[in-house]
Amino acid sequence: MEKSPMTDKFDITLNGIRLQCESGETILDVAKRDGTYIPTLCHDPRLDPAGACRSCLVEIDGQRRLQPACAFKVTPDLNIHSESARVRKHRKILMSLYMADHGAPLETEHNGDQLTRMARDCGPLLALNPVEAPRAARPAEDNPYFTFDPSLCILCARCTRYCDEVEAVNAITLSERGASTTIATAGQRTLMDTSCELCGGCVDTCPTGALMEKKPAKLNQVNPRKVRTTCNYCGVGCQMDLNVVDDKVIKVSSPEPGTTLNDGNLCVKGRFAYDFIHHQDRLTSPMIRGTDGQLHEATWAEAIETAARGLLDVKERHGADSLGFISSSRCTGEENYMMQKLARAAFGTNNCHQCAAT
Amino acid sequence: MLGAGAMTNSIPEIRDAEVLFVIGSNTTEAHPIIAMEMKRAVRNGAQLIVADPRAIWLSDIATIYMQLKPGTDVWLLNALAHVLINEGLTDNDFILNHTENFEAVVEAVRDYTPESAEEVTGVAADLIRKAARLYASRRKAGIYYTLGITEHTHGTDNVYGLANLVLMTGHLGLPSAGLNPLRGQNNVQGANDAGASPLYYPGYQRVEDEGVREKFEEAWGASLSPENGINLNVMMAEMAEGNLKGMYVMGEDIVLSEPNASKIERGLNQCEFLVVQDIFENETLRYADVILPAACFAEKDGVFTNSDRRVQRVRKAVDPPGQARADWEVLGDVARAAGYGMPHYTHPREIYAEMAALSPKFSGISHERIEAEGGLQWPCPDANHPGTQYLHQEGPLIGKAQFQAISYRPSAELPSDDYPLVLSTGRTLYHYNTATQTRCDAGPMAHQPECFVQVHKRDARKRDLRHGDLVVVVSRRGRVECRVHVTDKVRPGCVWMPFHFAESPTNKLTNDAGDSVTGTGEYKVCAVRLEKTDRTEETRSV
Repeated sequence: MEKSPMTDKFDITLNGIRLQCESGETILDVAKRDGTYIPTLCHDPRLDPAGACRSCLVEIDGQRRLQPACAFKVTPDLNIHSESARVRKHRKILMSLYMADHGAPLETEHNGDQLTRMARDCGPLLALNPVEAPRAARPAEDNPYFTFDPSLCILCARCTRYCDEVEAVNAITLSERGASTTIATAGQRTLMDTSCELCGGCVDTCPTGALMEKKPAKLNQVNPRKVRTTCNYCGVGCQMDLNVVDDKVIKVSSPEPGTTLNDGNLCVKGRFAYDFIHHQDRLTSPMIRGTDGQLHEATWAEAIETAARGLLDVKERHGADSLGFISSSRCTGEENYMMQKLARAAFGTNNCHQCAAT
Repeated sequence: MLGAGAMTNSIPEIRDAEVLFVIGSNTTEAHPIIAMEMKRAVRNGAQLIVADPRAIWLSDIATIYMQLKPGTDVWLLNALAHVLINEGLTDNDFILNHTENFEAVVEAVRDYTPESAEEVTGVAADLIRKAARLYASRRKAGIYYTLGITEHTHGTDNVYGLANLVLMTGHLGLPSAGLNPLRGQNNVQGANDAGASPLYYPGYQRVEDEGVREKFEEAWGASLSPENGINLNVMMAEMAEGNLKGMYVMGEDIVLSEPNASKIERGLNQCEFLVVQDIFENETLRYADVILPAACFAEKDGVFTNSDRRVQRVRKAVDPPGQARADWEVLGDVARAAGYGMPHYTHPREIYAEMAALSPKFSGISHERIEAEGGLQWPCPDANHPGTQYLHQEGPLIGKAQFQAISYRPSAELPSDDYPLVLSTGRTLYHYNTATQTRCDAGPMAHQPECFVQVHKRDARKRDLRHGDLVVVVSRRGRVECRVHVTDKVRPGCVWMPFHFAESPTNKLTNDAGDSVTGTGEYKVCAVRLEKTDRTEETRSV
C-alpha cells in the first residue's frame, strides 16, 4: 500500500540509541534498518506478522509484558531493550522448549536450519524432557520434491501462511488440536492430489528443516558454492542461486526476500526443473552430415569450417537474402547481438529474427 | 505506438495496483511470480478484471470475468472504448496534451455498442460496461497481456485496442499503471533489444535509416544491406516455397514450436543447407547438415533482459558437458571462418560494451554496473543514469502518442461443418515450450506426462467422449492424437491444447497465417474436429 503523505516521523530508543522511525513501522522494521539483530522464527517479511513464536520478544519501559518486535507498532519515545537480562532469560527458556520439541541435538543442523543456529546463540540450554507431540505425517507422500518430517516441526506456521498469503493456493494448513497439531493437507491427501503447485516456497521458508528438498539429499551438500544468476524460463527474470558442488548444480535456492524483484519467491520450474543441465541427452559433440546422409562426430574446427562454407555457398549461388538466421530468446543478449551481427556484417542480410517474434 | 516495445511499468509495482486488467494471459501458469504479485495486490484490495476464453485461476478471484469467444478481442476492446467515451470516463486533459487522432477512435468505436459486443464476443453487455467503469475509476490501473493478445492475425490490432484504452484514460506515466506485455521467454526482450530483428539494429534503430546504417557500417567495418529483412513467419513460408535455401537456427526447435509443422518439415526438406546450434536433440536436428552443441544458461556468462526492461546477469556456475561451447564463442568463430573480421572477444562483457556504445537506449548499462548495482532497467542513456522504473513519466516518449482506429476482422480460419471447434494453444505451469528441459524432471512429468485436449463437457457428451479417452484432433493441416480432458473451463465450441509434447505435436494443427505487421502466427485460433480412435492403450504408438 502506498505510504500516506501524512506519515508521522518521531524518535524511539533501542538499547540506549535514539532512532528515527515512522508511524506504522514495527519495532523489528526499525531494528533491521539500524542493523540491530533481533532473533525471529515465525517471521517472514512477505507474511503478515503472526507474533506467534515469541522469539522476538523485547522489553519496553512501562509495559508489564514482553512484546513481540515483529508485530508491535512503534509510538513516540518508546524505550526498548532487546538484550536485557529479562529478554535473554526468556529467550533461553523459549529455545530450550523449542529444542525439546524439535528433538534433534544441537550438533545437527538440518540444511543449516535457522532454529538450531538461534538456539546455539543462547548458550547452554535447560535440560528438558523431549516433548511428546504425536503429530501426524502424511502417509506415502509421492511428490518428487519435498519431504515433511513432523518430529522436527515446531508449528511456527510459516509454511502454511506462505501457502495462503503468498502462493495463495492453500494446499497445506494447520490441523488437529493441542499437542497433535500438525501441518496437513485436506484429508491428509498427498500434495500431488491437492491444489499445491510445487513452488517450494514452504520448504524455502521453513526454519527447522522439517520440510526438506528431496533431490539435494542425494548428494554431499556441505557448503555448496552459490552462483547468483537469472532464471532461464519465463520473462519475469527471477534471481536465483545455483548451488554447486563438484561442478554440478545440486540445488537452486532463492535469494533473501526483499533483495530482488522476485522477493525470495520461485516457481516449480525455477526452483526444481534444473535436471536438464546435467542430463545425458545434452549434445556434447559437433556433428557433420556425411555423403552417406548420416551425422558423424567432428572436431570444432571442421564443424565451424563446414558451417561457414555451406552458408557462403548458398550465398554465392542464390544471394545473401536466400539465407535466414534464427536467433533465440533463450540465449543471452550478447549472443543475440552476435547472431544479428553475423547475419548482417558477415553474410550481408537482414534476414535475422529471434524465435519468439512477439 | 507509445515509443517502446516493452512493459511500461515494473513488476514490483504490481502489488500497489488498484485495478489490474489481465487479458490473454494465464498469468499463474505462464508467469507464476508475476501472478504472486497480482494475488498480493488483490489481497491488498485491488480489483481484478480478467478477459480470457478459458476460465483460469485468476478468473476465480476476479471482480469481473469476461469469457469472450476466441478471436473476438477487437470487438470487446472497441466496446470498452465505446463505454468510456459515451459515459464521459475519458481523461480529456491527457488526450489533449499527449495524444493525437482521438477523433478517429471516437468515430471507429461508435457502432461497437456493448449490446453488439455481447452478440459477437459472448460477454454480457452489462459486464462490459462494469469493466470499463471499473478500469476508468482508479489511476493505478494497469493492463497486463501476453500471447493471448498477440498470437492472432489481428494481434497488432489487439495491442492497438489496449493502447487506446490506456491513452483515453491517461493511465500512463504513473506507477502501477500502463500497458504491460509479459514476455513469454527469459530473454525475448533482450533478443529484441540486441537487434535480432529483420527491421531493427540493436537498440531499436531502423535498418531503413541511412544514418543508422552508416553508423553500424563504420563500427563493424562492413557494408550492410539497406533492405529490411523478412520476419520468421515469412522465412518459414519462403523456405517452403524454396526461396530460402540456407538457415542457421540457434536455440529453437522450429519443427515443434512454429505453426503448421508439416509445411515447415516440407521446407526443411528443400532447404539446401541447415546449421543447428542447440543444447538438446530436437526435431529440427533431423534436417541439419551441421550440429553445433551449445552451453546452457548455467554454463556461460551474459545478460538476460526481462519483461520490465531489466538487464540482469547470467553467471557461469559449471562447465558445459563434453565439447559444448557458449553460443557467443561459436558465432564468433563462424563469422571469422566466413571471412569477416569479428573481434576475438574474451568475455561477454566486451560484447555488451560494444552493443551499448551503439545503442543510446542502453548506453549507460554495463556488466560492471550490474555487478555493482544489480539489474538496471532501460532507458539508461548514460553511466550516471539510475535506469527507468516506469516509462512515459514526462508524457509519451515519442511526444504525442497516436490513437489507432481499429475494426474487427474475424480470425483467418473459422469453424465450419467439417471443423466445428475452435482450437487455442498455450503453455502450462509444469512445462516450458517444447519441454526439452522440463521433461528431464520428475515433478512436471508426474503432473503432466502427456499431451491433452481440454473439451467442454457439453461437447464431450455430444461426441460420447469421456475424460481420459484417446482422441484425434484434426485440422486442415494435420492430425494429432492426445487424451481428452473434460472440463467446464473452456467455452462450449472451444478446445485447448498445450504444445509441449513432441509425440503429440500440436503445431501440426495450428495456422501459420500471420499478423500483417509482426508475422506472428495465429496459434490462438484455428478450426478442428475431434475423431474418436479405436486404438487402446496397448496399441498406441509413442
